Amino acid sequence: MDGLVITPMLVVLVAAVGTLLFRRQPRVRLAVSLSGAVGYAVAVAALAWYVVIAPAAPGIATYQVGDWPAPFGITLVADGLSVFMLSMVATIGPASLVFSARYLPKYDRRTFYYPLSHFLLLGVTGAFLAGDLFNLFVWFEVMLMASYVFVAYYGGPQHTRAAFWYVALNLVASAVFLLAVGGIYATTGTLNMADIAQRLADPAAAGIDPAPVVGLLALLLSVFAIKAGLVPFQFWIPTAYRAAPPPITALLAGASKKVGIYAIIRLSFTVFAGAQVPVSLPWVSGSSPLAFVGPILFVMAAGSILVGGLGAVGRDSVEGVLAYSSIGQVGFIAIPVAIAATTSSPTLRRVGILAALVYALNHTIAKGLLFLAAGTIESATGTTDLDELGGLAGRSPALSSAVFVGTLALVGIPPLSGFFGKLLVFDTAVRAGAASVLALLLVGSLLTIAYTSRAWNRGFWGVRTPAVEDAAVDPIQVAILVGLAAAILAVGVEFESVYRFADAAATAALDTESYVEAVDPQAVNGGEQP
Amino acid sequence: MTTVIMRTTARAVVPIILVVALSLFVEGHNLPGGGFIAGVLTTTAFALLYIAFGLDFLERGVLGRDIEPGKTPSRDRVVIAYRRVFSFGLAISVASGLVPLLFDLPFLSQTYVEFENVPLYGHLELASALAFDFGVYCVVVGGLLTILSVVGAE
Repeated sequence: MDGLVITPMLVVLVAAVGTLLFRRQPRVRLAVSLSGAVGYAVAVAALAWYVVIAPAAPGIATYQVGDWPAPFGITLVADGLSVFMLSMVATIGPASLVFSARYLPKYDRRTFYYPLSHFLLLGVTGAFLAGDLFNLFVWFEVMLMASYVFVAYYGGPQHTRAAFWYVALNLVASAVFLLAVGGIYATTGTLNMADIAQRLADPAAAGIDPAPVVGLLALLLSVFAIKAGLVPFQFWIPTAYRAAPPPITALLAGASKKVGIYAIIRLSFTVFAGAQVPVSLPWVSGSSPLAFVGPILFVMAAGSILVGGLGAVGRDSVEGVLAYSSIGQVGFIAIPVAIAATTSSPTLRRVGILAALVYALNHTIAKGLLFLAAGTIESATGTTDLDELGGLAGRSPALSSAVFVGTLALVGIPPLSGFFGKLLVFDTAVRAGAASVLALLLVGSLLTIAYTSRAWNRGFWGVRTPAVEDAAVDPIQVAILVGLAAAILAVGVEFESVYRFADAAATAALDTESYVEAVDPQAVNGGEQP
Repeated sequence: MTTVIMRTTARAVVPIILVVALSLFVEGHNLPGGGFIAGVLTTTAFALLYIAFGLDFLERGVLGRDIEPGKTPSRDRVVIAYRRVFSFGLAISVASGLVPLLFDLPFLSQTYVEFENVPLYGHLELASALAFDFGVYCVVVGGLLTILSVVGAE
């Protein structure tokens, strides 16, 4: 049954190649793409069932590509954390692909749209499953290559400009990533994550000096912060998100961004947490790299909440508001991670990760829904400028109610998924006893209410503008939005099972021992390679 | 660049490049070489032809076709063929990875057979990795030549 681990990747890979081969038969291509999307969701569900949800679930499954044993071969690991992240992608990925089929103009440059969106999904999936650092890098690149094309997709001056910035920034980030990967190989003599964790836990037996790991982890952290769009690396987000087609932006915000969050959690907590490295910098001291990660992540998260919230209040287009809101929401995800890294209590650490995961799930579905809704509004009215919109609520009640649910989920109103996300994040802050964090979260939440209600008032209420009066809303697009809104509601109503799933994910993220045991990297003598 | 020296050199060098590419390709799985580098080398042979004889040489000189006037570079028949090679290579690579699943082995598992006393070659080792490498070769040749001819024409 371990073959299930690689199935989601194989499904999207075959769909990607299939859509490329059938590019001259639009119907076949669409059928391949959509069955790939559905197959992906089914494969992820089967994997989640097998690894976590089933009664006697093992909790972790590994796959050695090409039958080469760890740490030499390519290892894929599906534990609770990976599977939880994959479930998010399996929600927004198929929705985005079906939406694309209705959204793209008939004779648009579709030829490479489908293969590339499948490759984007492949990169995200691979990053969540990769069991070694180098392959994490490779899957990051697969994901980025596809997203480069999408940012430049429409080919206008502002798209080219956005793509240029995006490519330049990410090339630098990739170079830094590779440098850090090389440094970690030089320090620990291995790139397999389980093997790194094993060696760092007992550096004397492995004959290595773990001290450089802290600095290298800082490099990695900056790279992942760029992907997640945390302040001060948030500047690429608004232009890139506005340039890419809306269904892809939903994927970028819903899935690609979470890869950054996932990598921070996986590397800091599962892999590097066991290293005994004394850290003593001004204000920061402790005995593991986490003591260093925590405060830095906290500053970045706080900055993100403020910059994102304040930026979103002043935007005049739907995508602009959503893009800045994404920056702020990632701050909300990173705050509990930062608290989890700083604390020494195992319970609080687990609660922190859990809060981040639940919040990330909420953000994926809600923000995915809203970006897709921006696409619907644009294809119906021809604009997403808030000045030219108004009265959408009366014009298309179904679209408006879906957007309303998504907006309330961002704000965090019960019984939607967003409420539980916010509740857990606040709970983490209360348990940590940090009043300043609580104040920051409150300010962030107020800003969220401010920008969402402003966008809602201007776009959906008020007098209908000519653009809205002539709008032709696509029913299938709206059906997808309503489906996502139902998912938000379902997560809230069935929160108990979601909580158990997220709890398993948070436990898996902190359980280095089972991770190492499952991958079972064979001992290589000392710090020297044979 | 189409001087007599250039053309004469190209005539002599291109076959050598192609043979070297072939040898790199065949021994790639256990010596330096492989589908990627063989593909790059093959592309340089084509690039040399383009530089020495012009972009239309393949269609007019080798295939003996007429050139449609006023065509856009990305719709060119040769470029379409390159793009097919690219897709075909990708399909071959993925399919070669999927074959082991039929034998209940992990994705991308490989095996090999050895032949002794092969005429001319002596000892020959035929690895299943060759199929994957062939896919990579096609992707590299198809991809690079598409870029080269489209960008070269513009």
